[in-house]
Amino acid sequence: MKKIQTLLLSALFALLLNPAFTSAQTGSKQATVKVSGEVSAPLDIKLSDMAQFEQTKVNRKDRDGKERVYSGVMLSAILQKAGVTMGKDLKGENLTKYVSVEASDGYQVIFALVELDKDFTDRQIILADEVDGKPLPEGDGQFRIIVQDEKKPARCIKMVTAITIKFAK
Amino acid sequence: MMNNPQNKKRQDKSGAYILLLFCLVILFSAWDYYSNVPVGPYQLIYPSNFGNRINIPQDNPTTKQGVYLGRLLFYEPKLSANNKLSCGSCHQQDKAFTDGKAFSEGVDGVPTPRNSMSLTNLLWTRRFFWDGRVTGLESQAAVPLTNEHEMGQALAVSAKKLKADKQYTALFELAFGDPTITGDRILKAIAQFERTLISANSRYDQYLHGTYQPTTDELKGMELFNRDPEPEKGIRGANCARCHGGVKNYSELFHNNGLDSIPKDNGIEAQSGLASDRGRFKVPTLRNIALTGPYMHDGRFKTLQDVVDHYSDHIRQSVALSTFLRGQSNEKNGKTLKLLPEEKKQLVAFLNMLTDYTFVNDPRFSDPHQPASKNKHL
Repeated sequence: MKKIQTLLLSALFALLLNPAFTSAQTGSKQATVKVSGEVSAPLDIKLSDMAQFEQTKVNRKDRDGKERVYSGVMLSAILQKAGVTMGKDLKGENLTKYVSVEASDGYQVIFALVELDKDFTDRQIILADEVDGKPLPEGDGQFRIIVQDEKKPARCIKMVTAITIKFAK
Repeated sequence: MMNNPQNKKRQDKSGAYILLLFCLVILFSAWDYYSNVPVGPYQLIYPSNFGNRINIPQDNPTTKQGVYLGRLLFYEPKLSANNKLSCGSCHQQDKAFTDGKAFSEGVDGVPTPRNSMSLTNLLWTRRFFWDGRVTGLESQAAVPLTNEHEMGQALAVSAKKLKADKQYTALFELAFGDPTITGDRILKAIAQFERTLISANSRYDQYLHGTYQPTTDELKGMELFNRDPEPEKGIRGANCARCHGGVKNYSELFHNNGLDSIPKDNGIEAQSGLASDRGRFKVPTLRNIALTGPYMHDGRFKTLQDVVDHYSDHIRQSVALSTFLRGQSNEKNGKTLKLLPEEKKQLVAFLNMLTDYTFVNDPRFSDPHQPASKNKHL
C-alpha cells in the first residue's frame, strides 16, 4: 500500500515538474514589445521588465464613459533606455523622427518623436500594463498605449508588439 | 513524268518556295514574340482616393513586358507538378479570383487548409494569407507554387520546364534583360501581373465619384455598414466599417470575429504564441464580396445573408474575441448586433454595390493561353 502511495506521489511530483503541465497552468507565451529602428540599444520589453522603470499613472475615460486609472511606464523613459535621441539631443534633423507603434492585430499608429519628449510637452503617453490595479482585460493584450487627454481613443493602441523609431524621408 | 526535266525544275522551284516560306514563318514567329509584347514602364492607374501607400519593391519595378510575362505565367499549368493547375485554377477572374469552393484541391488532391483568397488591389496589401505570415507579393507567390498540396513543384523545376519553350526564353529576356529563367524571376513576373489587378469601378466607387445614385436599400445598407450601434441614442448600426471601411473596403487587420469559442484553426496564434491572438485571421477585402463565396477562412458560410446573420446573432464568446465585437448591440445590454430582417437585406444590398463588373470582365486579366473566341472574358 505504502509502495503505491509513494508511486502515486512521485507521479504527481513528476507531473507538476513537467513543463507542458506548468505552461498550461500559466497560460500562453508572454507578449513582447520590440523597440527598434533609430535606437542605439534595441530592447525587448516583457511584463517582468516593466518594474525597472518609474511607474506612471494616467486617468482616462473608456468608451463606456467610465474613468479608469491606467498604470505603466512613460514611453519617453523606454525610448531613453533604448538610446533614442531625446531631451537635449532632440533637435535639428532628429525633429523629423517619428515613432510607429504596431499591434498584433495589424493596427498601427504614429507619434512624432517630439510628442513624447518631456522638454516639449507635459502630456503623458504611457505603455500601460495595468488598469485599475489589474492586468489589462482579455482581448486587449498585455500592453496598451494610453494617451492622456486625447479626445479620440484611436491612438490608445491595444496589443502592442512593436515600437519603431524612424526618420521621415 | 517524274523524269521530265521541266517538272524537276518546277519541283525544285516549289521546294525553294516552301523553304523560303518556312524560314519566313520561323522569322516572323520569333519576331512575333517581341512585336506583340508592349514594352516600357507600366502605368498603374487608380483613383486618388485610394491613396499611395502602395508596395512595389525596388528590385522589381512594374513594366509592360514584365506584366505580359507574369500574366502568361499566372495562367501557366506547366508551373504545377501535374501540368494541370495554374494560379488561375484557384483564382478565377469571373469569381473575383477565387474558386467558389470552401477549400481548393492541389496536385495531390488534398484540400487546402484554408479558403482561397480573392486577388484584388494587392498593390496596397502588405501581409499575405489568412494569417498574414508573408510580406510582399513575390514571397507570397512562392508558397502556392511549391506547396505539395497546391501546385507542388520546386521553382527550379518550373524554370527548367519553361526553358524548353522558346517563347518564354524570349519573354524573360525582354522582361529581365537576359534569357535566364530562374525561380526568382518567375515570382517577380507573377507579382508584377498581380499588382495590376486593380478594382476601382464598383457601383460604390461610382457613388463616391458622384456618378451613381444608390437605391434606397443600398443607401440604408451603407448607413448601417458605416455606423456603430448606439441604442441609448436610438442610432442603429452594424459597425462593419471599423474593419472593412474606407474606399478600398479593406484595412490590414487580424481579428477574432467570434466564429467559434474553441477554434479548430488558431490563426495568427500559431506564429505569435499569444492566447489573445487565438482564432484571429486577416480581415479580407469586401471588394467583389458577392462573387467570392463561400465565406470566412474555412468557407463555412455559403451566402452573404449567412455572414450577416453571424455578425447579427451568432458571435461566440472567447478570450480572444476582438473587443469591438463584445457587447456591440442595437439592443440595450445586448450581446450581439441584433439587426432586423429588413436591415440585413439592406446590408446585403450595399455589399452587392461593391461588385466591380469591369474588373471581372477586364480582358487584360483573362487567361492569355485561351484563344480569344474561347475566352469568355473577351
